[in-house]
Amino acid sequence: MEKNPDKKHPGGVSRRDFIKGMGTGALGTAVLPPLLGQTIATRKGRVPVYDKKTITLTVNGKKASLTVEPNETLLDVLRDRLDLAGTKKICDRGECGGCTVLLDRAPVYACMYLAIRADGKAVKTVEGLAEGEKLHPVQEAFIEKDGYQCGFCTPGFLMTTSAFLEKNPAPSLDEIKQALSGNLCRCGNYAKIYGAVDAAARKMRGA
Amino acid sequence: MREFKIAQPRTADELAALLAETKEPVAMMAGGTDLIDELKSGVATAGLVADLQAVAGLAGIVPEKEGLRIGAMTKVVDLDEDAAVARNYPSLRQAARSLATPQLRNVGTVGGNLCQRPRCWYYRDPQVVCRKKGGFNCYAFQGRNKYHAIFGGSGCFIVYPSDLAPALISLGAKATIGSVKGDKVVPLEQFYALPEIDGRRENILDKGQFLKSVWVPAPKAGQKAVYVKLKERGTWDFALVSAAVTGVVQGGVFAEISVVMGGVAPIPWRLRKAEDVLRGKPVSEALVRQAVDEALKDASPLRENGYKADLAFAALKEAVLAAAA
Amino acid sequence: MNTKAPDYRLIGKPTRRIDGREVVTGRATYTQDIKLKDMLIGKILRSPHAAAEVVSIDLAPALALPGVFAALKLAEGKVRYAGQQVAAVAAVDERTAEKALSRIKVEYKTLPYVVDWEKARDASAPQVRDGKGNVEKFNEYSRGDVEKGFAEADVVVERTYRTAFEIHNPAETHGSVAYWEGDHLVVYDSTQNIHGVRDGLARTLKVPAANVTVIKKYMGGGFGSKLGLNEHTVAAANLARETRRPVKILLSRRDNAVCVGYRPSSLQTYKVGAKKDGSLTAFSLVNYASGGVGAGDEVSEPVVDIYKCPNCKVEEFTVFTNTGASRATRAPGHTQGALGLEGVMDELAAALEMDPLELRKKNYSTRNLGDTGLPYSTKGLDMCYELGAKAIGWERRNRKPGEGSGPVRRGIGVATSIWFGAGVPGTLADIVLYPDMSVEVVCGTQDLGTGTRTHMAVVAAETLGLEPKDITVKLGNSDYPWAPLSGGSLTTPSVAPAVRDAALKAVDRLKAVAAARLKVAADDVAMGDRKFFAKSAPEKTVVFADVYRDLRRETPFHGERTGYPGDAYAFNTFGAHFAEVDVNVETGRIRVLKHVAAHDSGQIINKLTAESQVVGAVTQGLSAGLFEERVMDDTTGNPVNPNLCDYKIATSLDIPEITPIFVDIVDTRLNNLGTKGLGEPPRIPSSAAIANAVYNAIGVHVREIPMTPQRVLAALKRKEAGS
Repeated sequence: MEKNPDKKHPGGVSRRDFIKGMGTGALGTAVLPPLLGQTIATRKGRVPVYDKKTITLTVNGKKASLTVEPNETLLDVLRDRLDLAGTKKICDRGECGGCTVLLDRAPVYACMYLAIRADGKAVKTVEGLAEGEKLHPVQEAFIEKDGYQCGFCTPGFLMTTSAFLEKNPAPSLDEIKQALSGNLCRCGNYAKIYGAVDAAARKMRGA
Repeated sequence: MREFKIAQPRTADELAALLAETKEPVAMMAGGTDLIDELKSGVATAGLVADLQAVAGLAGIVPEKEGLRIGAMTKVVDLDEDAAVARNYPSLRQAARSLATPQLRNVGTVGGNLCQRPRCWYYRDPQVVCRKKGGFNCYAFQGRNKYHAIFGGSGCFIVYPSDLAPALISLGAKATIGSVKGDKVVPLEQFYALPEIDGRRENILDKGQFLKSVWVPAPKAGQKAVYVKLKERGTWDFALVSAAVTGVVQGGVFAEISVVMGGVAPIPWRLRKAEDVLRGKPVSEALVRQAVDEALKDASPLRENGYKADLAFAALKEAVLAAAA
Repeated sequence: MNTKAPDYRLIGKPTRRIDGREVVTGRATYTQDIKLKDMLIGKILRSPHAAAEVVSIDLAPALALPGVFAALKLAEGKVRYAGQQVAAVAAVDERTAEKALSRIKVEYKTLPYVVDWEKARDASAPQVRDGKGNVEKFNEYSRGDVEKGFAEADVVVERTYRTAFEIHNPAETHGSVAYWEGDHLVVYDSTQNIHGVRDGLARTLKVPAANVTVIKKYMGGGFGSKLGLNEHTVAAANLARETRRPVKILLSRRDNAVCVGYRPSSLQTYKVGAKKDGSLTAFSLVNYASGGVGAGDEVSEPVVDIYKCPNCKVEEFTVFTNTGASRATRAPGHTQGALGLEGVMDELAAALEMDPLELRKKNYSTRNLGDTGLPYSTKGLDMCYELGAKAIGWERRNRKPGEGSGPVRRGIGVATSIWFGAGVPGTLADIVLYPDMSVEVVCGTQDLGTGTRTHMAVVAAETLGLEPKDITVKLGNSDYPWAPLSGGSLTTPSVAPAVRDAALKAVDRLKAVAAARLKVAADDVAMGDRKFFAKSAPEKTVVFADVYRDLRRETPFHGERTGYPGDAYAFNTFGAHFAEVDVNVETGRIRVLKHVAAHDSGQIINKLTAESQVVGAVTQGLSAGLFEERVMDDTTGNPVNPNLCDYKIATSLDIPEITPIFVDIVDTRLNNLGTKGLGEPPRIPSSAAIANAVYNAIGVHVREIPMTPQRVLAALKRKEAGS
């Protein structure tokens, strides 16, 4: 397998090549026929194929039915169509953790999850953390310990933390850091966030 | 995000038939954490996405008599948390835990990790039509290339970004490829293909084929397996260089050893020359140095990535010494 | 002057944010979250070319698309960087707007360009500006006679340091929502400067400033990238005018790497001379900074000011390239300057075989301009050195840099900061007392996430004998009383004294009303436990509620931040950071273990949020010191890492133990609270302290940030080669 690499290296790239190539990779705008709930026939049977699908989500305990297109992300559906703007769009590429929500109790990036694939699943967002006006212990702890600055990444951190503490009610500092390793805080308040997560764990344990 | 249709096959047969019979290009979506990025940027151009989520029988970790079968749709988090993996394949668990983030591991799959597209920043730029996208040139060759390949880059200098692949290959894993013609089994090492074979893809999957599962042989008596990943920041980073070492140590020497590196070549890079040096001799730092020097004879670093040669030594040293300990 | 902190009930103590509940429930409304009836989504088409002549723009295909309401041409003539705006559309939703953008036909005639700033220095490089060279001197300074100073020195050290292009990347990307109510323009903007954006819009759109209102409720970070009026805000206002509908434009993460600024790079060559005992004889600095089509940063303030040195000479040049313009980035110039100056001080200390901290103390100044200018009104840097050194365990450092052994080397380093932070005289704030005892504090400042709302409540509550939760804070609207932009560490020392002034006036009135009730002289009235009482007869009391009711109507009190004797004294903030690191000399990986940040920022208003400022700035300094760098590609003229994957920001696994220390020196000459700014000071020496700790660990200064494994390994090779 350890092949001698071909020494025929490509020549230099000219700017002309770049400019010539540009635009061909631009967003496609193919017009597709409506295919809501249709199938593609194959020799092994008919495979369901959609360009729209009516899905049902349980969002913060409430059922919601809506018709989505395949290219709608869970994040856009939550923010734009269900008016749940607590979940923030920061990078839109699964590179920051700002849009973390719980999908069937597991933290995921809503920007990198197609809404159509969430059909039938339970979604929990920051709006679903508190019970009425009673804050979740994680929310209380983030206020007490000043576990944020601008607050824009905070909904993501809260969701990650709440799921983590359900699984690990008495985490070490290192476990806290590992658990938060998929959430970026650009204000750089991690050191305060660790304290907030620890305080939340204590509250939830009643310690 | 570009517009596309989504097909949701329910069985592997349906999937195979769909892939075989559809005329237009189909992109397969496992966890989607890589493909969605490409669909958003426009780098992926497929008009039809095959969603593998509902395909029965593709997920799960199943003990078999002579090994462990890992379904392509097994989530990385499940690999990380699996007791048999932790017990028998510590390097695989290290690799699983080192990749991406908890949230991505909750969605990302083993098959998706093994079939992900390269992270080369020119490839990912929708404005650039490079060789991998059917253009004429590799922009990294004379461009910005600190993360690019020091081995095996001919015409395209991507590095293969998977953490699971080096670990699995060093463990002797085999890949099962599904298609309408039935299943085919190949060593995972042969699943990957250099750019000189086909610059537009990183593996041997032809149209109509898909990765169904990987199988890892049961560990041999005295087998040690270690995965070491060197990166820039503490987490959420692709490997600058990684090293997967699997070996059988007897009396302070490796009776058997397999060394695979990540982050250094367009495919997971097997270091057979280094293995030859390391096999059968008392393990020491000097021996590792000699092994790396032997392997590096095949290296051709670019302007900004020569430091990867130093990292190859550091990664291999840590992995070999840990495996021999 | 008494610099001891008064015994306040709330000020200087930790207070939880009064808006915490809004933030943690997701109810806090950021510009990104604004949704108005009939609102359209605007998108901007940007040039992919680093330099081109825009020959033609055809908007018709975009306008023909159903759901598209308007389109604008935004470029004429030349575009000078990739990412420059070319056209804009407003459509019914985001996907339609995106589709419309892809239909706009732009014909470009591409032109020669240069994005690599080192290549741009060549005389043969394409000219970024028509008819002008790419290199331009923008700053020079001289005092004494440096040649004489170097001649007198026993030791002369000359070194060059580099800093990278650092992108602000605030969590919330820039965005604006604009709509017109008749001839009145209302704009929700993600900005650090509501009044500045209002004035800018008024000028640009030729409408009276009185007819423009800019609102910002919550903002997801700025760090300097949101200090001024943005082009997309103007586009949103114009599209809104044309469509008679609200228009929202949000920038993308990629846009953050191409068109809304970054910290300019620097290439700083220092030459320093010193006597054997460490006393400095001369400093010279030549800096080449690059800020794209904009300006570089002056990095010379630290070398000019911090250390006692009679002879000093500075020359600074900006190098123009075909990239977007730089913008102020948290402590502009000083952050880069600290990396260079504090690096060369440590390399000088090694040459003198002197303790780096002793070298700094030896050259301690009590006047600005290297001890040749005005006396500092207060300067607690000595205390920062002392408390910081104790907290880090300075005595544990390597006596000689790099004297440890093994693959993992440990080191400790120090670095110093000086910054402004006096605040802006003329800042206004109102306090309104209501007969039902509600209290409103109103100021046209903005809370960037620093906790300004809570600071205002703390100062008002302290003064009025109330609790922060009793105060309703109104900010973030340009119709409110004027306050400066939130940048330059101006906000707290501008706003808090204005609030204090208004609150003191309110207390005077309340005391007068209470005096009438109590039938005593107003100067006999004191306040406590939510009551007024007569000092001469403490049994005579009246509860707050009764006094407020006696006001009969809501009653405003106008406060102002007044001037300070800037012609007699220098007013600055100071700090010293101490970092401890491990460096793996085989992998080149640096791990920061501990970071102590000691600061003199005068009276701290809220200890809880002040600590967050320090923790965040240390973390950002670590991130810039180890990871962050915008990488430009000369072939495409574009950045290769305009994202958060390859542009790397510190994660939760990169963070050391961080210890903030405040020395609590109250400068009553400066303002009625003796408070100074804190936002930028802790950002200044954080990367530098880490770089010096790395030097202490491995015996060679990396001299370039970010200190990636690649650069650490290269530095170690340099050491082996003995250069």
